[in-house]
Amino acid sequence: MSQTPLVEMIGIEKHFGGVRAVDHVSLDLYPGEVVGVLGHNGAGKSCLMRILAGAMIPNAGEIRVNGKAVAFADPNDARAAGIETIYQTLALADHLDAPSNLFLGRELKTWFGNLDDARMLEESRKVLARLNPNFKNLSDPVSSLSGGQRQVIAIARAIYFDTKVLIMDEPTAALGPSETAMVADLIRQLQAEGIGILLVSHDMHDVFDLCNRVVVMNKGRLVGAHGIEEVSKDDVLSLIVKGELPADWSARNLEAAQ
Amino acid sequence: MSQAIKPASGRAPTPLASLMPDAAKIHRLSALLTLLLLIAGFALASQAFFSVNNALTVLLQTSVIGLLGIGMTLVIITGGIDLSVGSVLALSGVGTAMAVKAGVPVGLAMALGVAIGAACGAVNGLVVTRAKIPPFVATLGMMLMARGLALQLTGAAPISQLGEAFGRLGNGALFRMVEMQPNGFPKVIFPGIPYPAILLAVVAVGAAYLLRRRQIGRHIYATGSNEEAARLSGVRVDQTKLYAYVMSGALAGLAGNVLMSRLVTAQPSEGVMYELDAIAAAVIGGASLSGGVGTVSGTMIGAFIIGILRNGLNMAGVSAFIQQIVIGAVVIGAVWIDQMRNRR
Ligand SMILES: Nc1ncnc2c1ncn2[C@@H]1O[C@H](COP(=O)(O)OP(=O)(O)OP(=O)(O)O)[C@@H](O)[C@H]1O
Ligand SMILES: [Mg+2]
Repeated sequence: MSQTPLVEMIGIEKHFGGVRAVDHVSLDLYPGEVVGVLGHNGAGKSCLMRILAGAMIPNAGEIRVNGKAVAFADPNDARAAGIETIYQTLALADHLDAPSNLFLGRELKTWFGNLDDARMLEESRKVLARLNPNFKNLSDPVSSLSGGQRQVIAIARAIYFDTKVLIMDEPTAALGPSETAMVADLIRQLQAEGIGILLVSHDMHDVFDLCNRVVVMNKGRLVGAHGIEEVSKDDVLSLIVKGELPADWSARNLEAAQ
Repeated sequence: MSQAIKPASGRAPTPLASLMPDAAKIHRLSALLTLLLLIAGFALASQAFFSVNNALTVLLQTSVIGLLGIGMTLVIITGGIDLSVGSVLALSGVGTAMAVKAGVPVGLAMALGVAIGAACGAVNGLVVTRAKIPPFVATLGMMLMARGLALQLTGAAPISQLGEAFGRLGNGALFRMVEMQPNGFPKVIFPGIPYPAILLAVVAVGAAYLLRRRQIGRHIYATGSNEEAARLSGVRVDQTKLYAYVMSGALAGLAGNVLMSRLVTAQPSEGVMYELDAIAAAVIGGASLSGGVGTVSGTMIGAFIIGILRNGLNMAGVSAFIQQIVIGAVVIGAVWIDQMRNRR
């Protein structure tokens, strides 16, 4: 692809004491591309995502958005650059209701600067219906909602605003089959709109179904980045577990190319 | 189970939800019921309790707890605590009095007192957010420092003879009607609404508006509910906390002015243990010490419960020691109810 990438992460590093959570990782993302980010538990996926989301400051490395170097001091900076995130932890304030969470930090206001709760409710209803037409508990505190409903709110929050890059850190972990299908549809829809998506997932089926590329992390390092047609599920599994492709991979690939 | 913060009015909740009052509303309702029972009980026990004059006394006494309680509520909702309000009240009152003594007009001097309170609150907020000292420790330190400063500045002696204007805020009243009798003595037709009560009402309405209708209010709840989530959502968590501590300090300063004005004397040793009354008022009113929950109306009910308990027990001739025991038990009872409702 000859376009400029939406985002480039170059030589990103993050240490916690002796732990190298992210070890010199580079990754880019183009418009309309879905990149699967895989790796075992603790491989550093969430750390890498949080760094791009402005929620974690890297020890070293550079981030570029549309070719321009940026330094995110907090999540607001990343959001201002069009990078929205569905955190693995969902990041919801339990005592607040769905609309308050959806618009948290970006509340709609009336001309007088008061919170426009009526409009936030209306907008929330619309965007939530895109993911779950039966979503009704809009004025309950989100602590009283199910894990899936909470996840739907977190997803809705990330797609409502003017999103250019969407980071999804295990967005379907708590969802039932119909909601998961809705999210898959949503991903395709956003992709068609030219949004770049980073999808962290343990679900090989989803990854192969939705992604154009996969990158695999192992102990903080990026051990593989491949177009989805270059690799099989077993190849990816080998990358995840052993940190390398099976010995016969290049031979197989050459064969396929001929 | 806890409450959603937003008022249910102006929205269209599911019919069932609107019929079922949530736990926080029940808590406030039971507090209100307690308050009414207290009033009824004391009225039966003592004739003098249920009089206009005594009602005004209660209003005056409660205004100080109420002002402190409102600031405390903001801080408690963010998940913090402010132990310094009693001392800050004294320091602010002393500051105002010293300014008056130095010839500063009373209004300006009182504004200075409030500013001193706000400054103490700002120090609290910065120590909590920048130095990452837990609120309990940070404000405990401020409690000692502000008290020490008030005592040091005055040599531990009260400042008196502050003039009639200084006493107006604490002793004056709106719509007070006095008639001169033929014998030359004035007769009070209507004692008027004390200024401190009006001040409390204005501050309470303002704080409730802030919490319910303004962005900062929503952020105060979000910060106390889940600080990390708030931060990730773009809430400036540190600024939000700082705001709450500054408000608490400023309201402590205001309460200091009211109290010293009522006494027409600045007492550097005034307000000891008032922070506990303020915390009690907030907690009785349903605020949760783990953050994210609390309302101004609840705290007002809590403040009046404490004010009326003190006043009623006084009128019934119960000793100050027994009063402490009773109020201590009420606080534990209120927190216990709070725990029960969170345990589901
Ligand atoms: N705030 C932190 N402080 C210290 N260590 C951390 C912190 N956050 C992450 N780590 C460490 O960094 C490493 C990578 O964690 P990360 O959450 O990125 O893994 P992950 O790939 O997202 O795993 P999972 O699949 O379980 O979500 C882990 O060893 C973790 O313990
Ligand atoms: Mg993770």
